[in-house]
Amino acid sequence: MEDNAELESFRRQWREEVAHRARPKQEPSQPSQKRRTSTARPSHFPPTHHEAFERKEEEDNAPVSFDQGEIVEGVGQLSLGVSDGNSLQAQEPPGEPESALEHFERAVEKEAEGSLGDSLQLYRKAYRLDSSVDKAYRHKHFAWAWKKPAQKPVPNAAAVAASTTLQSGQQSQDEPVALPVSELIASFAHCPIPQAEPIIEGDPLPPCPIANAPTDVLVEILKHVAVMDPASLVRMSLVCKRFAYHFAHEQHIWKRLCQGAEFGFKAMHYSFACDIFGLPEHTLASRYTPFPTDAPVQLPPPLSSWSDVFQVFPRIRFTGIYISTVNYTRPGAASSYQNVSWNSPIHIVTYYRYLRFYPDGSVISLLSTVEPLEVVPYISKENVLAARATSHKQHQRHASDTGNTLAGASDPIPSVAMGALKYANRGRWRLAKPFPSEGEEEDDMATDSLSDTFSMPVKIDDDPRDVIIETEGVGPKYRYLLYLSLRSSSAGKANAVNPAPSNPSKNTKLVWKGYWSYNKLTDDWAEFGLRNDRAFAFRRVRGWDMT
Amino acid sequence: MAANQTLTFQSSDGVDITVDRDVAERSLLIKNMLEDLGDAQEAIPIPNVNEAVLKKVIEWCSYHKNDPPSTGDDDDSRRKTTDIDEWDQKFMQVDQEMLFEIILAANYLDIKGLLDVGCKTVANMIKGKSPEEIRKTFNIQNDFTPEEEDQIRRENEWAEDR
Repeated sequence: MEDNAELESFRRQWREEVAHRARPKQEPSQPSQKRRTSTARPSHFPPTHHEAFERKEEEDNAPVSFDQGEIVEGVGQLSLGVSDGNSLQAQEPPGEPESALEHFERAVEKEAEGSLGDSLQLYRKAYRLDSSVDKAYRHKHFAWAWKKPAQKPVPNAAAVAASTTLQSGQQSQDEPVALPVSELIASFAHCPIPQAEPIIEGDPLPPCPIANAPTDVLVEILKHVAVMDPASLVRMSLVCKRFAYHFAHEQHIWKRLCQGAEFGFKAMHYSFACDIFGLPEHTLASRYTPFPTDAPVQLPPPLSSWSDVFQVFPRIRFTGIYISTVNYTRPGAASSYQNVSWNSPIHIVTYYRYLRFYPDGSVISLLSTVEPLEVVPYISKENVLAARATSHKQHQRHASDTGNTLAGASDPIPSVAMGALKYANRGRWRLAKPFPSEGEEEDDMATDSLSDTFSMPVKIDDDPRDVIIETEGVGPKYRYLLYLSLRSSSAGKANAVNPAPSNPSKNTKLVWKGYWSYNKLTDDWAEFGLRNDRAFAFRRVRGWDMT
Repeated sequence: MAANQTLTFQSSDGVDITVDRDVAERSLLIKNMLEDLGDAQEAIPIPNVNEAVLKKVIEWCSYHKNDPPSTGDDDDSRRKTTDIDEWDQKFMQVDQEMLFEIILAANYLDIKGLLDVGCKTVANMIKGKSPEEIRKTFNIQNDFTPEEEDQIRRENEWAEDR
């Protein structure tokens, strides 16, 4: 928040200006300390210059849980990069904004929460709907400044925003002290599956055959659910106590998940499995996997259960997209920030980096200004090839409309997505070895691998969370090397304070460690600047999940 | 093996059903029993399974009698684990009580393939549903207090996006 000093001072200035113009005497009691919490009570400021100033703040808040999100094709609002950290608490999502003013108000809220990406989108929509929306907003929310000076400026929206931003820290303090979760779950061990009451009293009980199933059958069913979709297993655990117990205690389900190729570590690659065009590389040696099924396996030392392994051990997800939203601003006219006036132009540039990983070791890397909702559902290897094919044709023919004609009859791909996919780079990925000590056979790894060249600009150290991606570059003589590392969102920090801390998913973030291009002809490395670039955040995409 | 080619099962409600031996041997319980006891001349009582269910089970075993015996139980390379072949899907289009009876019978008789198909069918009924929808599907009552439910939700939240 310290980074916002400029913003704060600007806001204060503005407010004073407004106040002075209206009633010189009004409101001396609004102390500036209170103003420091102003991010929690946002509705007072027409944030015309938000973007540039809020950037840092968003970075701080960025890792808050985004895990609930799914990209649903054509449906719903995709909140970008980061969603508000309160989405979990605020169960009822407010309705979609319709008018320009509503968009604007929502944008202000989002901004206050630190979700710059969301707020930016909303601001843009608002201005598109009504170019003078900021005036309308001022009239609605700041009329008190020149009408009723005495009135305390605590409209509901602000109060709500304030309470929700504090919620993540404070929420559970008011709750009665509960059993530690593990004990609670252990107490469920012998709970029967409770049968539902009949809808009309006196009716015979509705049949509940699952209640009669013995434990081993239940566990068998749970295992099948887990292998199909671990998220469904979570929901099973919320059905009744008995299932919650099995969810926590049936370690062989988790072991099976860890060892499996569906969501587990069998699908992780610790050496490149294909070339950068996705053609598989065949090796005689069997591929390394940390938890083979045909040999006795041990839990990796610090972890005590297979569910921990599944949760904590570095793992790439294939069921969605990793998105990095980059916003940066460029002043359109020479002006220092102090003197920013309402009409000095500032360009706000938003672009996205997308990474889609495949279990076969290939990856698609896309840098685009096209918004996720429009392109993400179409990011696939097939579509990338299709998009390139079209673009070739069009270069020859100078045809004007893109995409639509070529896309398969069943699922036409919007031309905007096609246009973006044309520039996607194919590539390949691998994780660093989880147990560095076993790295002796490194020599027989693929020899044309960039990251093994001794001319590498950095040494890839042996952090098991590291992800190395090599992709095509612009033109055939370049290759790109992305050096990333898996991180977890930081929402779980409250552990010590809360009796029931939230327990968000791990390894859903990819932070940058470096980005280079390699010129094959001259054997030169060049570094890409990542000044504005942010960490990638994982979001599920519906339709990519079921194997 | 100079065994006779048919066996007789007696269901829990006292009905005798004649079964080809190779069909009956899809059940590991029966197979092991025959290996231990030699040939069974009399009807074999299947105490936990009634006639209707037993007939379904035998129908499945007859259709699958030539399947290769399943190898290791967690061999995940065999085929896509979520797939159920078409015939099995049709076969499993029964009401929920029957479905669970078939599963229990498969469990008791130790017919791995049938147990798998049954459990997958149930898992498919669970996949993608919310807890409340799952409760509705299976007529389960929610026995959590709101606090407990909240605790469990947070504890397990991490696995939501795999």
